[in-house]
Amino acid sequence: MRHVLRVLALMLLALVVVPAVPAGATPDDRPVVRVGTEGTYPPFSFHDSDNNDLTGFDIEVIKAVAEEAGWKLEFVETTFDAIFAALDAGRIDVIANQVTDNPERQARYGLSDTYTYSRGVIVVKAGTTGITTLADLKGKTTAQSLTTNYAKLATEAGAKVEGVEGFAQAAALVVQGRVDALINDNLAALDYLNTTGSDSIEIAGNAGDEVSEQKLAFRKDDAALLKQANDALAALKADGTLAKISEKYFKIDVTVANTGEADLSGGRAPRSDAEIVQDAAWPMFKKLLIATIPITIISFALGLVLAVAAALANISGSRILSGLARAYISIIRGTPLLVQLFIVFYGLPEIGIDLPSWPAAILALSLNVGGYAAEIVRSAILSVPKGQFEAASTIGMGYWQSLRRIVFPQAARTAVPPLSNTLISLLKDTSLLSVVLVTELFREAQNAASAAQTFFPLYLTAGVYYWVVCALLAAGQGRIETRLNRFVAR
Amino acid sequence: MTDSTAPLVDVRRIEKTFGDNHVLRGIDFQADAGTTTVLIGPSGSGKTTILRSLNVLETPDSGVIRIGEVEVDFAGLPTKGKDAREPVSRLRAQSGMVFQSHHLFPHKTVLENVIEGPVQVQKRPREEAVADARQLLDQVGLAEKADQHPFQLSGGQQQRVGIARALALKPKVVLFDEPTSALDPELVGEVLSVIKDLATEGWTTVIVTHEIRFAEQVADQVLFLDGGVVVERGTSAQVIGDPSEDRTRQFLHRILNPG
Ligand SMILES: Nc1ncnc2c1ncn2[C@@H]1O[C@H](COP(=O)(O)OP(=O)(O)OP(=O)(O)O)[C@@H](O)[C@H]1O
Ligand SMILES: [Mg+2]
Repeated sequence: MRHVLRVLALMLLALVVVPAVPAGATPDDRPVVRVGTEGTYPPFSFHDSDNNDLTGFDIEVIKAVAEEAGWKLEFVETTFDAIFAALDAGRIDVIANQVTDNPERQARYGLSDTYTYSRGVIVVKAGTTGITTLADLKGKTTAQSLTTNYAKLATEAGAKVEGVEGFAQAAALVVQGRVDALINDNLAALDYLNTTGSDSIEIAGNAGDEVSEQKLAFRKDDAALLKQANDALAALKADGTLAKISEKYFKIDVTVANTGEADLSGGRAPRSDAEIVQDAAWPMFKKLLIATIPITIISFALGLVLAVAAALANISGSRILSGLARAYISIIRGTPLLVQLFIVFYGLPEIGIDLPSWPAAILALSLNVGGYAAEIVRSAILSVPKGQFEAASTIGMGYWQSLRRIVFPQAARTAVPPLSNTLISLLKDTSLLSVVLVTELFREAQNAASAAQTFFPLYLTAGVYYWVVCALLAAGQGRIETRLNRFVAR
Repeated sequence: MTDSTAPLVDVRRIEKTFGDNHVLRGIDFQADAGTTTVLIGPSGSGKTTILRSLNVLETPDSGVIRIGEVEVDFAGLPTKGKDAREPVSRLRAQSGMVFQSHHLFPHKTVLENVIEGPVQVQKRPREEAVADARQLLDQVGLAEKADQHPFQLSGGQQQRVGIARALALKPKVVLFDEPTSALDPELVGEVLSVIKDLATEGWTTVIVTHEIRFAEQVADQVLFLDGGVVVERGTSAQVIGDPSEDRTRQFLHRILNPG
């Protein structure tokens, strides 16, 4: 049984060490600055529906800053609610995503000079009466990203806040009447109205009188980067670059205070649902092929190895080994996958194990699959009659040879149907991977949905993709089962 | 080290307990090369445990087993690690085992079952192993079944494949544990006749069986076991034809006059 331990140790090592090797140094010597942004917050940060590139007001601003400051940029896309955690964990160096200045953030982060002046607005379903000011929100429900400044405003006004993933989802809840209102940036609201051509929601009024100021956010201890950013912003303001970027998106200069009403009508043209799906279908399919499916296959293969190791440890007769295996299985089955993903990606860096997105995703999913499949493998091995082990021993086979040539092929028959279920679940579980910053099929759908400001047709498309792959897997399962059953008398 | 007149199989003072069940109480016996030894005795007397000990599927608590050149003293055997596994696998390789319920590998063809040990364990060239296997299958009357799977065979045919699988490893001794007990009566004959042929071809065999008439015909030596001891031993004419112990007589009487 020492073999089992050795194999386990090797596998963990392979998982941890191999992917941790850096992908090669950058050829130029500009410092790399990693930018955290949602990629789903038009017109500030979103994916262009034509070429799928990350673009938007904030993206163009940070690119101009980088040019000025001599940085090389790497963009990291994440939900807003994970964005400060990513900054704290050192996974990104700056947030360029309309971070609104407030005292709490001033205390915790290094905030740059202001590059957007805007104001919060209250958005309601068209025709709603009685909500025009913050005071009217008392006792009402609003939809917000929980860690935004607007969520804070709503809570302070006495509203109940429903957490959502972004503007499009909040707007849908308002349209459907599930919440009474949302508070967001007037520019984001105007972009929504313009992009969707929707008249089912409307801006009811200002969320307070204050003009809010949006800034780049750095870690507090990163004073040097902050200084470079501020110098760059000053220079860009002086030479008119910021004004030019702003006018492209808003027709006015929002980078200085009080310049009038923004006009977004020249922005992205409204598209029909069919056009939206058509534009997104190929990028989504690509992500299915280059992210969702490979991650599923790799994680399943590694998970199976873990499962076999855990199953053998469990039935080894050694108390220590079987205790370890049972603890592992119990922990994996007893905690949500989302928690496991967060621990691997945001928790392990605390103890010095800083895995990039893909290895972290694969590690977490493999551990998850291993925990679930271990029990399947164990009962499959135990379903092989003891006489088969003895017959193998009698002809001189050792432990591993008996397992490989005699036991596993027979255990497979029992194991394949439940393992197929595990595989199918795994495929769908990859849709959670955006929390560890992997852009897979579902994240791609989210990107497209936010750019279009509507998500139903795109999520439906994603659903169809998942379903087709699952149906193919189920068909493959049927064929394998037939193969494995052909030596058994019926 | 062993001279040519020494017995091929030498079993001395074998003790075995399962929990507090003392199953083998000092088993001693020898078998010369080319002879057939038959073990008879009531259920639970320890016959299977003796065979399994010879093949080291059970590890005796103490005692010495020698087959050919390989001798293992179980009293001094470590319980774990390479020093325990190595002598066990050398002794195990000296004998081939035919189980009561054959335990053929269901996912392999008849031919694959027979060559599995020679190719995978003994690392013999595949073509050579296949040629030998076909000859063995011919010998047990199953040449035309080589490419079928076990589930396609009758019980008697399956048992004959089991015999071919054991012979393929060219063991010094072939062990049979009630090879016909699980068979329908009309299939018993074909298996017994294969075993009988082995005896005439010079194979050394140790057979546990309840087929007393068969034992009479093939046995060079019969051991009657009861309660984990060899109660009586001798030629079949002595032990079966003219037993000297009461317990042997009673056993034979019961088994030859059922009901
Ligand atoms: N693995 C085991 N664990 C515990 N007890 C065992 C084990 N194998 C055999 N025994 C016990 O050892 C005794 C002898 O069993 P054994 O199988 O050798 O008898 P046998 O002579 O072959 O009987 P039968 O004619 O019924 O096959 C029995 O009491 C049996 O219950
Ligand atoms: Mg028995």
